Amino acid sequence: MLVVLIKSLIIGALGGAAIAAGAARMFYAPEVQSMGAFRTLGELNACKGDPITHFSFGLGFLFNSAASVVGAGALTQDVLHRIIPNWAAGLLLLRNRKVEDTMYNPAAMAAAGALVGALVVAFLNTVAAAIPTSMAVVAAKVLGPASNLMINPVMPIIFWLAALDAGKESGIAATILGGLAHMIMGNAVPGCILGILIGKSIEDNGFSRATNIMIALVTILYLLIAYFRGFFVQLAKFI
Amino acid sequence: MAANRSFLLQPWTFVLLLAVAGAAVFGGTHLYVVHHTGAFNEIFVVQMLDKGLRSGDYAAAAGFAAGFLIARILEGPLVGVLDIGGSLMTGIGIGIPAVMLAAGIRAPIENFPLALLTGLVVGAAIGLLIMVIRKIMPEGISSVGTDVMMGAGNAAGRYLGPLIIVSAIQYGIPAGIGAFVGAAVFYKWDKPIAGGAILGAMILGALFPVK
Repeated sequence: MLVVLIKSLIIGALGGAAIAAGAARMFYAPEVQSMGAFRTLGELNACKGDPITHFSFGLGFLFNSAASVVGAGALTQDVLHRIIPNWAAGLLLLRNRKVEDTMYNPAAMAAAGALVGALVVAFLNTVAAAIPTSMAVVAAKVLGPASNLMINPVMPIIFWLAALDAGKESGIAATILGGLAHMIMGNAVPGCILGILIGKSIEDNGFSRATNIMIALVTILYLLIAYFRGFFVQLAKFI
Repeated sequence: MAANRSFLLQPWTFVLLLAVAGAAVFGGTHLYVVHHTGAFNEIFVVQMLDKGLRSGDYAAAAGFAAGFLIARILEGPLVGVLDIGGSLMTGIGIGIPAVMLAAGIRAPIENFPLALLTGLVVGAAIGLLIMVIRKIMPEGISSVGTDVMMGAGNAAGRYLGPLIIVSAIQYGIPAGIGAFVGAAVFYKWDKPIAGGAILGAMILGALFPVK
């Protein structure tokens, strides 16, 4: 048990620091390469810099993760996607409500993330079994469907409508690439994002060299993903 | 603090961040293989690795994870946000260990310091690859359409509160009542309603469990 505790503290501190700093960098994307997820960005923004909301949002997922780790040893992706970024932000916002100095600051987020990460990972890997099952079950049953609905269909629709509102070129490109992405990757959001990028590029610069390189890259991307995710095997069934 | 801040916002710091995150996630996989707890992924993904550990057939885990890893490595530099679910947690955490185990290389997974080191190296390599893709990407692409995407990202967050209430109501009457009452109270206090909905649903849902 002690070995698991020590390893968990190390892993949690490392992961928490890196992920929280990566999440803070999302507020400067795409100029700065960041790591996280568009949904994490949306959720951090949804909490509007209010520490209590950041904490309760993370807490709900903590119960869910606890149920999963007790049952199957899997922490769920929510530890890095949701609990650590939101609790790190909440911790900083308790002392300073200005998001520019806290949630948007990678150094502050890295420090808070290391602390939160070490505690959360150690807690989940050792004493998660102590959480009342009834609460864990409710959290899993409520947050599971809500986040599934968020990923599909809510997020694709939001990005799709944003593309349609952004002009003819973006709308056409995002509709085609979004539709293909939903078939090939399982979710339209990456396709809609690429569609917006390509559509805006066509609108601003026409079919310039840069635009054409972009289209070629995206075509290769789609073909590769289609191959690796077995899409062509699925397609062959119709021939 | 100002110096730290600018350092962590430097372009190449991304490689360092992904390397450290890679070490953590690889360490989590080590913890799972050796102590049966702590893998940073969803149950169904971890079970693919588990199937490999029991039967020696890692094809499902490796194939699933490699597809995600490649998609995210190509998408990440184009949009400026690397999705850590597909790249880090599934790709580095499940896919690479699965490939190693399938090849009979067990030491980097079973030895803790070696696991951290392996994750560090793999994360750094992928981070470098992403920065190289960013460099060769044509000029003037990455800045267009950002405002549209940020607007959509912000709009997405607003849906969360109502979605939680809807899910809570589908789960059961007590959780449902807790969710919308909690959301209303939070709205009265000028707090985002998602937090109130979650707390309300968990409290009433646990007090009056579904039979």
